[in-house]
Amino acid sequence: MFSDLIFRNSRRSRKENGLFFSSLVISIVAFYIILSISNQDVMVFLKKMESDAVDRLLLMVPVFYVMTLGILFFLIYFACKYQLQRRRHEFGVYLMMGMGRGRLFAMLLAEDLVSSVLALAIGLPVAVLLSELISLVTAKLVGMGIIGHQFTLSLPALGLTVAGFLAIKLAAFLILSGQISCQEIGSLLADTPHGAKKQKPAGVYAAAAVCGVLLLAAAYAMAIRGAAWQSAKMMLLTLLSGMMGTILLFYGMRAFIALLVRAGNANRKLHVFNFRQIQENVIRQSTSMAISSLLILAALCCFGAGLGIAGTNAQGDSHVMDYTFDNYEDIPPEEIFPKVQTVLKEHQLEGCFAQLFPMRLGNIRTTDEYEGVFQMESVMNALAQRPESRARDILLNNLSYVEKPYVICLSDYNKLLELAGKPTLNLRPDEAAVYISADFMDAERIAMLNQILAAHPETQLDGHTLYLTGNLQTTNLVTDRSITLSFALILPDEQFFYNTQGRYSVYVNGILSQETTDGVGFMSAVSAMNDQLDRIGLEESCLRYESYLQNMGRQLFYMVAASYITSYLAIIFLVVANTIMGVQFLMSQRKTGRRYQTLVRLGAGYETICQSARKQISWFMGLPVLVAAVSSLFGVKALFAGILSSYARDAQGKMLVISAAVIFLLCVVEYLYMSVIKRSSDRYLLTLMQPQREE
Amino acid sequence: MEPILNIENLTKIYGTVPNQTKALNGITFQVMPGEFLGIMGSSGSGKSTLLNCIATVIQPSGGSIVMEGEQLNSLKGKALADYRGKKVGYLFQNFELLDNLTGRENILLPTSLHGVPEKESRLRLEQLADYLEITDVLDKFPTQMSGGQRQRVATARALILHPNIILADEPTGALDSKNAKNIMEKLAGLNRDEQATILMVTHDSNAASFCKRILFIQDGVIFHELRRGDETQRAFYERILKVMAQLGGGSCNVL
Repeated sequence: MFSDLIFRNSRRSRKENGLFFSSLVISIVAFYIILSISNQDVMVFLKKMESDAVDRLLLMVPVFYVMTLGILFFLIYFACKYQLQRRRHEFGVYLMMGMGRGRLFAMLLAEDLVSSVLALAIGLPVAVLLSELISLVTAKLVGMGIIGHQFTLSLPALGLTVAGFLAIKLAAFLILSGQISCQEIGSLLADTPHGAKKQKPAGVYAAAAVCGVLLLAAAYAMAIRGAAWQSAKMMLLTLLSGMMGTILLFYGMRAFIALLVRAGNANRKLHVFNFRQIQENVIRQSTSMAISSLLILAALCCFGAGLGIAGTNAQGDSHVMDYTFDNYEDIPPEEIFPKVQTVLKEHQLEGCFAQLFPMRLGNIRTTDEYEGVFQMESVMNALAQRPESRARDILLNNLSYVEKPYVICLSDYNKLLELAGKPTLNLRPDEAAVYISADFMDAERIAMLNQILAAHPETQLDGHTLYLTGNLQTTNLVTDRSITLSFALILPDEQFFYNTQGRYSVYVNGILSQETTDGVGFMSAVSAMNDQLDRIGLEESCLRYESYLQNMGRQLFYMVAASYITSYLAIIFLVVANTIMGVQFLMSQRKTGRRYQTLVRLGAGYETICQSARKQISWFMGLPVLVAAVSSLFGVKALFAGILSSYARDAQGKMLVISAAVIFLLCVVEYLYMSVIKRSSDRYLLTLMQPQREE
Repeated sequence: MEPILNIENLTKIYGTVPNQTKALNGITFQVMPGEFLGIMGSSGSGKSTLLNCIATVIQPSGGSIVMEGEQLNSLKGKALADYRGKKVGYLFQNFELLDNLTGRENILLPTSLHGVPEKESRLRLEQLADYLEITDVLDKFPTQMSGGQRQRVATARALILHPNIILADEPTGALDSKNAKNIMEKLAGLNRDEQATILMVTHDSNAASFCKRILFIQDGVIFHELRRGDETQRAFYERILKVMAQLGGGSCNVL
């Protein structure tokens, strides 16, 4: 009998409050996904190369786990509160009938357990599947191929998920049932425990709102000027003033809504009623609205940062070479390329490469002098004459150190350009092109330098006149970043050999053939080739190799880690914020259900009260979202100013795109949530349409 | 004179076959314009069901209700909502004021629901507030008013759209005797001065003595009718008490 009641009650709860049940499932999924991150294909793969960074990330997993635990505790607490609130009357009846408080407690605990077990039964498979799916999708996206994918089930992750979930569930339950069991039966049976909050004079609220806006403005200003990033103290100050500002703004918002009650078209259907309802919600829940708004802001900033980081790393992805070999034995440079070819041929690996070509570069050997070998006053003067800007100052500073530049062989560089699909260079014997690694440049500096080079400035290289020409060259010389040149000259072959006096370095670049990479995905192909190269013992021939994998691994790691963590946090924040708002609205709607009944008596149709409630929902959820959206514009801007690379800082257009994407995403999520809440409210209002007999 | 409300053979059955309850078992009566009609009966006699049927809050199982020549059964959608809002003014036992709206906003709620421009109602609001002596509480919230003031605000809300008939469900039920007397005097005054038609369900013989005619209901049928002739309110009250005493035991009286 007792167990029947438990099962029936728990089934009814799930049916009546799908929102609550889905929030349970969501928290389970969230726990498992963060805990099983080390099992993701990409992470397993990266661990081989960037094990330090991956380990550091994995060390942070417990931190995220605890954080998620804390955030989801609030979610479950609110959802549970709503759940118990609507059953107050029922509890009162149980107690009236002589059920002991201990037994009632045991019953609720058992009910809770049933729904928890069910949520686990649904949530865990969903979580495992979802995490596998994420693993596959990321593997596919980064070009690892999915053939090697193995289904993994992380038992520790499962265990911790169950433990964490049950722990927060129990904690929330104990707090809430403690509150319920302290109350008198009479107040449980009474329909709505009213307690009109005492209101302060309107001026207080208006002042609070103004203070809030000022604090927010201060936080915005500190954030976008970059002041916030100068020190931890400043950052704390910015965050605090932003948070306080938001809370005060919502606290004072009632004054603004009171204006709306009076203003606007009072003849519109239920205008006054709607705004009084909204006002009441804002009064009662200003703090949780502010917290929801802050959570949404955090979510938006996470998304913005994730997209930004992923975007900047994708930029550098245009690689040309897959492999670079070099020799550390003292042999004449012209023998190195044939040697690499021979070694590869010996092990039947030559066929795996579509291209193998040398990249020759070296120092000026015509003189032993170090200072003033290369002079380019004309370039420096042209730069100095340009209007003052940050880009100019950086260039002036960087170029002032150029004394004895590296030189690069034109035919090799042209080969590289050809493979990269770029136009090749044509140089006369007295001409040179300028090479600067992309890491040292950005779009603005490149454009500035190109304008100067277009004038064919005259320079002196060890006493010979040399005209600089062409566009600035930035294509990577080798596969990884082992060679980055802050300034080099590309010289025609004859001049190159003359200037280096035949003493130069050779790097042999290779590109994998189509057949090698087909089907298995680029990353797996490179990884397999690395294994083969390791096996044939290149060291015996004093050869070393470097694959694009290291470079890519590094980029990939940042990309995956950043987008994974940020999207994860963003989704949790969004879900929690929206659930809190939704549950709060439904809870207060339930408390004030009688008002809707009165409206029905006064001649309001079902449609009318549904519309009224829908309007209230739009406002109630819309206000925090709007505040968060406005703040996020500054937040994303601050992120770009503070943590993203200089490359992104200059890409204003991209920031707009990211902001637009973030806001679009927010709109979709909010639309979905509002629809769910509105449907739930419609369903509740329908139950009010039936008159109840009261004595 | 045409009756304003014509109820014929009205039945309402709750529940299904083995457990049926006939809340209304064929009730027939008429309400004339300007009448102040009371309906009395013990708990469970069907008074509230009758009122709810007239207010179209519940559907009768049989019979007809005709308001000014219009069958209530045939009303649907907007016409039904308009009927509830404009033709009928409802007065609740618990006032049912919305506690987050001021007195004025509560009174104007029906105008906002039925799309009547606020300007048109302003004069009416002033008149009613003046008559019901609630002018100084118009901008207060219900929690700041006394019980009597609340019921008078609720009365103004019921009257704001000039309803054909006021349905009052135990309007004095939640009031002390002084406030009950006050509100009944106001209702009687409205009936006398504005020819407002009032249909009032009550337990309270004192309140019922303000009516011009009283129907006694028992077990879903009309059991007795009293008309107040030229007698004093006091004498009418005595007659009501007598009927109530008979009614007490009901037709199944064991005595």
